Amino acid sequence: MSGEPPQGRSLPRFAFIVHALAPLQRRIMGVRALQAGLALGAEDGTAFHRVSRLCTLRLDGVAEGVVIGLALDPEQLLVDQERALRRLHRAVNLAGDVEAVGLGSLCAVVAGRGEGLAARVTVPVTTGAAATAWALHRNVRRILEVRGEDRVALVGVRGPVGGAVARLLAEEGVTVHVDATRRAARAGLTGFESAEEAVRDVPVVVGAGPTGASLDPAALAREAVVVDVAIPDTVRPPLPEGVTVYAGEAVKPPPGWHGGFWGRLYQVFAGYGPTQVFACLIEPLVLAVEGRGRPYALGRRLRPEVVREFGRGAEALGFQPRLARGWRGVDPAEEAPGPLRRLVPGRPRR
Amino acid sequence: MSRLPEVDPEIWRKVQEAFAEALGLDEEEVTLDAKVIEDLGAESLDFLDLAFRLERAFGIKIPRGGIEDAAKSDLGDEGYEVEGVLTPAALERLAVALPEVPRDEFREGLRTVEVAELFRVATFYNLVVHLLEEKERAGA
Repeated sequence: MSGEPPQGRSLPRFAFIVHALAPLQRRIMGVRALQAGLALGAEDGTAFHRVSRLCTLRLDGVAEGVVIGLALDPEQLLVDQERALRRLHRAVNLAGDVEAVGLGSLCAVVAGRGEGLAARVTVPVTTGAAATAWALHRNVRRILEVRGEDRVALVGVRGPVGGAVARLLAEEGVTVHVDATRRAARAGLTGFESAEEAVRDVPVVVGAGPTGASLDPAALAREAVVVDVAIPDTVRPPLPEGVTVYAGEAVKPPPGWHGGFWGRLYQVFAGYGPTQVFACLIEPLVLAVEGRGRPYALGRRLRPEVVREFGRGAEALGFQPRLARGWRGVDPAEEAPGPLRRLVPGRPRR
Repeated sequence: MSRLPEVDPEIWRKVQEAFAEALGLDEEEVTLDAKVIEDLGAESLDFLDLAFRLERAFGIKIPRGGIEDAAKSDLGDEGYEVEGVLTPAALERLAVALPEVPRDEFREGLRTVEVAELFRVATFYNLVVHLLEEKERAGA
């Protein structure tokens, strides 16, 4: 594959907007943008102009993108969503000419799950939920295949990602226990009053809730494996002996993926290390390449067929979901069940 | 026994619309007595979305944790809960603050994390009306 587009044509461009998750990240943003106040920790990141380019990313011959960072931390984003929306809008303007905008972490949640920003700009805005659901679904299928299981328990079915993944699995003949009773039957799911009841005696658990810490680890079956996209984790250590937790939303980019120094640094700080990215990052890339013109995910609704459509686009470009432990991709077929090596260090945050 | 408010049609229409948009529902599904989590399927982040849409629709600012903070008032954290379980005084305060919730749901042993499960659509309607009244007083 050539590193450059055909002569006379520019690559599809996308933007991905993130925010500071912690004071250290805000300082690094300050260093990157040569903003001394932020870099030295003398500013709190709420000033209007504290929006900056963090890095550029490129898939050779396919697409290129820019990651824009807001210096607002989670609390600052949540406490004033109108302010968050103004910063998001500024970030889109800073990105310049792009065909799609993706939202990372809480940027995808505030201001109407992307709808507030979408109403202000002319390019499609997408939340990353379709990509997360695609990666999670593929990873869960892999676990079911390796373990020879046809049953899962899914925690967080009320959210867009959890709802879509539960329906995808059910459509494929998997028995899906979920932590809600209403509508479960209509969707072909088996509903329970609580997450603890849903996971009882089920060997494969999917953590799809938005905020994590939503399941008592003592309720997990012996030798259970949890595939998790909740942040923080669905179950918090200490975990019962024999329980395994994998991150479910890491993606391995294809050859030709470049980010330069700042791009690699961004990937490291995002959490999955230099060779993996969060699934939501590639949603605007695929959107820009496909020229779909409308988002894969916006607001709360996420239909299974859209997740499949996204997956076809992502896989055609060579992106592969993989189960992860921190920076390391994991093949569950190579991990025989056993009582040790099961405690997993904290998963990264988007 | 719960006490549902008499609604102002204009305010109610906007509240219904906000719920329908935030939760991906038909407006007819949004009724005053519906439990926001159990009946309408809301998750924690939906409350954030609801707040944003209601703030925009009415030009108000919904304080985070406003309902519980009002119930705490002079109780303080220690008087409000012990190891995550609401005190009898806190249950009493909440029952007054949330008249739309049947009294028997303020049971002994209720945990702080379970308070949101009591919320009805009427809880948000009442909050909006209260904030609109405050806004009007501030402007008077």
